[in-house]
Parts: sequence; structure tokens; C-alpha cells
Amino acid sequence: MLRPVQVHLFASARQLVGQRTVRWTVPAGGLPAREIVAGLERRFPRLGPTLRVSRFLRNDRYLADLEETVRPGDEFAVHPPYGGG
Amino acid sequence: MVVRLSRRSLSLAAVERRLRTARSGGVVLFAGRVRPDRADGRTTVALLYEADRAPALDRLRALEAEARRRFGARDVVLYHRLGRVRVGEVSVVVAAACAHRAQAFDAARYLIDELKATVPIWKEERARPARRPPRRPGRRAGRSAGSGRAR
Repeated sequence: MLRPVQVHLFASARQLVGQRTVRWTVPAGGLPAREIVAGLERRFPRLGPTLRVSRFLRNDRYLADLEETVRPGDEFAVHPPYGGG
Repeated sequence: MVVRLSRRSLSLAAVERRLRTARSGGVVLFAGRVRPDRADGRTTVALLYEADRAPALDRLRALEAEARRRFGARDVVLYHRLGRVRVGEVSVVVAAACAHRAQAFDAARYLIDELKATVPIWKEERARPARRPPRRPGRRAGRSAGSGRAR
């Protein structure tokens, strides 16, 4: 059985969705990150504007672009614009 | 540890103890505190900070290395609070010890600007509602009824 991708949502993304982590099923060969992002927007339409200004990470590494493959068992993170300090 | 994310209050004295390199002629320490004012008239009582911990620590370490490379910093401290930080408390400290003051100022400025823009830390405000302005004596409510939105 395939392990789902764990999608971790932070800050405004978490508030809009109402949960910290979303489980996302991907095929054995994985999916381009852009398909996960598009799927998130379809499932949570209010998240759209935030996704368009967010950065994305796979297994704690920033994606160079959204064509990178996300595989079963990966951790995928949505980072809205930062605001520390 | 020169890079730290912590739920505990930050001690400036502890930061200063980490910057005692005798060869450094300039030490700049910046402490950011939570302030109460807001543009909408409400009063901030606290900020809730969260981070994506592993990439945040990676990024802080990269900033430390960059400050050493770019400004010749001999000691660098980067601390950030997480969780609830009340008004008046220190939420962030950056410090740089360099050979000369100009480098130390530049390094500290670089560190705080980059930290705010590139480290995965977020804050959420906890605010007290705005107080209603006191009623002015002699003016009755509804006096201008019918033209309330004029202008």
C-alpha cells in the first residue's frame, strides 16, 4: 500500500484550511509538485491566493521549480510569505 | 549554540557572553521587541510565533555563514522566540562581532533583514479590541438620522 504524501500547512495556509496537515495520495511514480499545488487549490479554493505567493518544500528542501517529483511518503510543505522578527 | 529557536525568553546577557572574542573591535547587537500599537486602533497584547523548524534552522545557519564570509564576522548570534511572546518581550536577537564597527553594523543589518525575509517564521497577532471613544455630552444619538452617509 502506498504511503500518502503529508502536506504541512503553515500560518495563513493552515488557518484557511483549518488543519495543520493534509494527507495526499499520489501514484507510485509520484507527481510533479505543480499537480499537488493545483489539487490543493481545487480542494480548498480559498487557499488559491495564498498558494500563488507561497514557497514549497519537499523533505525540508526548497523546490527549485514545481516540476520536481513528489513521491509517496514524502513530506511537502506550504510556506506563505515569512514574517519573523 | 549561536543559532537558536526557543520558546524560552531570550537573555541579552547570555547573548553578550557569546560575543567576547577579544579580537573583535565592534559588536552590534539588535533586539526586536513586541510593540503594542496597531494601525487599526486595536492594541496588540502578544504575538504567536511559529516556524518550520528544520528549514528555519538550516536558513539561520546559512545566514551565519554568509555574515562570516561577507563581513568577516568572527562571532554571530541569531536567536528567535517561538510561541506566545507578550508585548515588551524580546522576540528576536541578532548580533555580530567584527574587527571594526562598520562591518559589525552592516552584518547586523544584513542578518535582521534576511532573517525577516527568508527564514520560515511567521507571527500571528493577539490584540485587544479598540476602545469606544467617550460620548460627547450634549449630542444625542440619531441627531443626524437620514443623512448618516452624506459626503
